[in-house]
Amino acid sequence: MTRFSIDIWGEMCPIPLIKAKKKLSSMQCGDILVLETEHSCTSRGIVVWAKANRYIIEEKEVANGIWHLELTKTHD
Amino acid sequence: MSINSAFHSQRKWNIGFILFLTLLLLLLSQISIRLTLITALGISLGFVLQKSRFCLVSALRDPILIGMTQLTRAFLLLLGISILGFALVSWGASQSNIPLSLNIFPMGVHTVVGGLLFGIGMVLAGGCSTGIIIRIGEGFAMQMLAFFGLAVGSVLGERSLKSWRYTFGEWPGIFLPDIFGWVPTLILELIVLLTLWQLARWWQKKQLGE
Repeated sequence: MTRFSIDIWGEMCPIPLIKAKKKLSSMQCGDILVLETEHSCTSRGIVVWAKANRYIIEEKEVANGIWHLELTKTHD
Repeated sequence: MSINSAFHSQRKWNIGFILFLTLLLLLLSQISIRLTLITALGISLGFVLQKSRFCLVSALRDPILIGMTQLTRAFLLLLGISILGFALVSWGASQSNIPLSLNIFPMGVHTVVGGLLFGIGMVLAGGCSTGIIIRIGEGFAMQMLAFFGLAVGSVLGERSLKSWRYTFGEWPGIFLPDIFGWVPTLILELIVLLTLWQLARWWQKKQLGE
């Protein structure tokens, strides 16, 4: 259960998703990836993508226009 | 985490904006009802566009890039609803004898070249034209640069359209209901959309290995 995070501030789709995918492939099962973005579509896109891939995802709008995402890698 | 104070401060702003917009519309209605209706329609369209977080770029790009077609299917649904709505409006107009002016443009090499350029540009910029404007409104600074590019590109395209047409020639635009009639056209278009929908579903299943 290690927590990783990648810097995706100011990046637009699809860069954050590609970065997350890359990071995820180097993580163990059960590890958590923390992401923070100020781009509404990026947040939405990652949530939809994670659900389609059956990962556990938690989305929280921590301030107006800032989203905090926690993605748990449940399978390889 | 407790509810962030940023949300509380936002509530005041929301009330302020609603008050401002109401007063603006009231003021406009004193000048011209038409102007008021256009402004109200524009504001509502912008509101819905922003809240829906609909992204045309994502709909066209994601099937190839990450194998997701949710938005692509939403886009097909949008096309289907628009086709039906357009048919209804046309029918209503012909019933009450209101002439409709249709924007049917001739096609040519410039259509393909322009489409390719716009496609490459919108993936790089992260938004189609409305997408860019929405994200400027959301405060995403990078899109202001994209908006500048959009404006320059539109002007260049508009200015050079004549020479494109002159150099490569063009074919007249086609309006399907004029050729087949309304009902066969509607059936044909909906069948095509349904086929694309199934194709998109199959593609996602194949890509994500469900």
